[in-house]
Amino acid sequence: MKLLRRLAYRLGQAVPVILVVAVLAFFLMHLLPGDPAVIIAGTEAGPEAVERIRHQLGLDRSIPEQLIVWLWHLAQGDFGTSIIHNESVLSALADRMPVTLSLTLVSFAITIPVGILFGVAAAKFRNTWIDSAVMFLALVGVSVPGFWIAILSVILFSVTLGWLPASGYVPLSQGVLPWLLALLQPAAMLALFQIGFLARMARSATLDVLDQDYIRTARAKGVSEWQTIAKHAFRNTLIPVVTATGIILSLLMGGSVVIEQVFALPGVGRLIVQAILTRDYPMVQGTLLALAFMFVAINLMVDIVYTWVDPRVRYD
Amino acid sequence: MTEPPAELLAPRRRFQVLRRLARHRSFRIGFVIVVLLTLAAIFAPLITSFDPTAMRARIRFRPPQAAYWFGTDNFGRDVFTRCLYGARLSLSIGLGVALLSGLVGTIAGIVSAQYRRLDAVIMRLMDGLMAFPAIILAIGLAAAMGPNIGSLIVALSVAYIPRTARIVRASALVVRELEFVDAARVSGASSLRIIWKHLLPNCMGPLLVQLTFDFAYAILAEAALSFLGIGPPPPAPSWGNIIAEGRDQAVESWWIMFFPGLAISLATLGMNLLGDGLRDVLDPRLKVET
Amino acid sequence: MVNPRRTALLLGTALVAGGLAVASGPAMAQKKGGSLVYANVSAVGTMDPHVANAVADLETIHHVHEGLVAMGEDYAAKPMLASKVDISPDGRTFTFSLRKGVKFSNGKEMTAADVLASYERYKKVSPNAPALADVAAMETPDPYTFIIKLNKPNSLFVEVMKTPTYSFSILPAEQKDKPARDGDLVGTGPYMVAEWARDSHLVLKRNDNYVADDSAKGPDGYAGKKTAYLDSIRYNSVPEANTRIAAIQSGGADFIATIPGDLAKRLKGNKDVTVMSVIPFCQATFIQHAKNGISTNHYVRQAVAALVDAEEMMEAAGQVWDRNPSLMFKPSAYHTTVGAPWYDQKSVEKAKALLKQGNYAGEKIVLETNNNYAYMRDSSQVLAEQMKKAGMNVELKMVDWTTNAGDMARGTGGWNITITGLCSGPLLGPQQWRLSLAYAQNPDDPVVTDGYAKMFATTDFAERKRIWDGIEKYFLEEGYLVKVADIADLRGMNGKFANIKPYYMQRFWDVWVK
Repeated sequence: MKLLRRLAYRLGQAVPVILVVAVLAFFLMHLLPGDPAVIIAGTEAGPEAVERIRHQLGLDRSIPEQLIVWLWHLAQGDFGTSIIHNESVLSALADRMPVTLSLTLVSFAITIPVGILFGVAAAKFRNTWIDSAVMFLALVGVSVPGFWIAILSVILFSVTLGWLPASGYVPLSQGVLPWLLALLQPAAMLALFQIGFLARMARSATLDVLDQDYIRTARAKGVSEWQTIAKHAFRNTLIPVVTATGIILSLLMGGSVVIEQVFALPGVGRLIVQAILTRDYPMVQGTLLALAFMFVAINLMVDIVYTWVDPRVRYD
Repeated sequence: MTEPPAELLAPRRRFQVLRRLARHRSFRIGFVIVVLLTLAAIFAPLITSFDPTAMRARIRFRPPQAAYWFGTDNFGRDVFTRCLYGARLSLSIGLGVALLSGLVGTIAGIVSAQYRRLDAVIMRLMDGLMAFPAIILAIGLAAAMGPNIGSLIVALSVAYIPRTARIVRASALVVRELEFVDAARVSGASSLRIIWKHLLPNCMGPLLVQLTFDFAYAILAEAALSFLGIGPPPPAPSWGNIIAEGRDQAVESWWIMFFPGLAISLATLGMNLLGDGLRDVLDPRLKVET
Repeated sequence: MVNPRRTALLLGTALVAGGLAVASGPAMAQKKGGSLVYANVSAVGTMDPHVANAVADLETIHHVHEGLVAMGEDYAAKPMLASKVDISPDGRTFTFSLRKGVKFSNGKEMTAADVLASYERYKKVSPNAPALADVAAMETPDPYTFIIKLNKPNSLFVEVMKTPTYSFSILPAEQKDKPARDGDLVGTGPYMVAEWARDSHLVLKRNDNYVADDSAKGPDGYAGKKTAYLDSIRYNSVPEANTRIAAIQSGGADFIATIPGDLAKRLKGNKDVTVMSVIPFCQATFIQHAKNGISTNHYVRQAVAALVDAEEMMEAAGQVWDRNPSLMFKPSAYHTTVGAPWYDQKSVEKAKALLKQGNYAGEKIVLETNNNYAYMRDSSQVLAEQMKKAGMNVELKMVDWTTNAGDMARGTGGWNITITGLCSGPLLGPQQWRLSLAYAQNPDDPVVTDGYAKMFATTDFAERKRIWDGIEKYFLEEGYLVKVADIADLRGMNGKFANIKPYYMQRFWDVWVK
């Protein structure tokens, strides 16, 4: 019960956040120079054609007026219609979301085991060459520009070796293997940064735990060290890792913007970038808002998982 | 919170902090990398005799060689020279973002820690900003404010302010509850005095750590924005826009995009090492959270 | 009044590729089946033919929709859904005889009622609706005749109607009230939309109700007898050039568009992939603002024109290109050399002299360009360097394409010089050029308005050509337009398909699996 009440409170708290996002997104978009009506009409169209399209789209109204209209529609659950694609924002999102989620999921599935393994190994072999090597690799992971390494990777794995497809998305409905194959390279590129991030976290978490008394006791009792790590340290390492999951997921979302562009994946990141570049106001506003909802939801879920993993933590 | 942060102890510890930093391996390596890159940026005109934007049609696409260490690009411009001058722009963006987001983030964090009534408003605003992925917020802002370095710095700063504000607020809240700050308050010290004497100095450690990481992120973000066509506008070179312009020749004339990418990696690596060192020494409890 | 002797006055010589396709037929087995994957630069934005103007949209649309006339292999107007057009001697009444038995992909027959409804929709939704401003009446005396009457003569009206952008395609009458950019439009073309994931991919499948124009010998540009051999064509959006190349090398695509010139080298020696050069495709042209600040000074505009170095600009951009002083492409009947004295002058000295003559005193000159098209970005950077050498105070303003396009179309943003790629005007003739001439922001210039009025009024081609020469010379001499070069679009294909031919916008009918 307490948990439920707390959840309801948190959701209520999220409303002003989302409103702030909505209004920010609106003004951000309308600050942009450039006119979607020109893009729709084509540069060869005369000024009267452009004016007519502006009128059709309601872009000739004052900005506060447009904001009120938009908020009114929003209050009725209407996220708007893309002015470039003539498609509802929610259905556009529903089309793209599986791509970004798949990418994020595969990337996450690569990140978690590799990152934790790296971190734990570095902690176990603390201050040896293994520690240095692993931590250096992790550091390189968070230091290289994502699209740069992605382009180099396409040249190596797709062009020179021909092992992996260079572009495109295959929906899960066409088979797990083709889906995985299409996503492997982009997901791995995306994971590089997060692996570095997670490995560094997992290392310090494991070190903290290895210093605890009960681990020393376990060790003194002759339990093998790996077993100790597996049994106690790993579980305790999970706590900060779960905390970081929210951050990692949000980083993945951000990182996917660039990776989707390189690998021609029709995901949410590319949708937003394209919408910004073509001044598709309702699309940008709508998708940002939907994303904000998602982040709030993710953070809530992280908090819930947190209480399960670590019973000591209670909501205050 | 059993042990007070380093700065709470006697001032003479400051010297010890510096000594510990100097002994810290990551910090030393990072420091050397960052100092070398900064010197290269400052003294670029002394290191190279080429002009970074001068075009010479006859020496297009030359591979790396004695005269052109990193080769030349499609305009016959020397890539090494462009990387040196690019360091000026890229590092300035990193520094600018670290300073601006640090300044605004600190003010926001301290104010919400000290004036609890403003806390809810400020933190909701920060949550609102945090709900955008930083890169998307930066794309929108950079596009809105026009293609120049100033707007890029502002855009990236706005994206990083919330994290800085939260870290400062968290540190300030901890200090605020300590006995001696309470004592100061009871004895009638003004809010400003408490902020200046107690809160601010004790946020410096975590803040400094955060800012080195923001510096590194800003350099990476500049490259990503350039890739999407919203970075600093050519012809003035930045590491990001050299890669963006050279990416179509990634195989045939690999040197155009390879070296600036290496430069970004090196600079980011240096800042990260520096940040790790600072964190270990200034605030050993701080996890790799950003 | 219809004059039967003026029947089929459609210009140009037909049968360029039509004969070829059939001739090569017997040697190779043409069979139905197979699907082709096309990796294009951008996604299909709209499938509404009356509104669409982006190449990526038009390439798919012209597989699905057809108009009364269409551009042929030589880009002149050819009959498509109309079997002939009769033009009255006063150049004001156009009578289209429709082909009988043509069906929409939904199985219904196309009649004059559909044509009338489509033109009415066009007037309502198309940005190009002003093209129908002089229409006095549209009539359908019988199901296979459609008559357009104009207020004033327009000898180029049929040429206007062949335009592939803002196409005058025929839709079923029931779709008359569909709003602009509606996604669900039925056409008479050889293919129909099977699946469309916006911003990602679009799949066309063969239209089994298609009725080909059997009076033609074979395909002729966008006209003629079209045969759909392929079962389906999938258009993928792959914006990164490196990724497109990788896609065709790794088998992820059968056909790719727009390979940067420097990247084409990567495909050399790859025996599975052929690179096809479509030239002329567009022309790179600088535009100077007739009404903004220092650009109103004739000598300053001339000085800028004097600096342009076609080779340096095109090589820097890695373009495959061709020298051409004209605003019309070489195959065009309107091609001219009147602009030669102002073409590719590459003279800093001359520019300096002109600046002196024009009393240029270091006023700022804004050169606006964009980051999305490499040839525009790179040519502008070269020009900016040259302008600096000539002592001009140039500010290079790099914005994104949306901003650049809006500023160019409306004269806003404070630019003095900008650059664009012009494609359909130089290919299709003066009637198509008119809207692009307005980029210089002097649409009311009497040279333009009087010139076009006279051109439309005369049926004599030589007279029209003379008038166009005058307009072209005026724009080049004044420096409102500064021609840089004709540029190619490089496209790559693997060896799986037969009969893929270069054309302005790629066609996949009469293409079959080897």
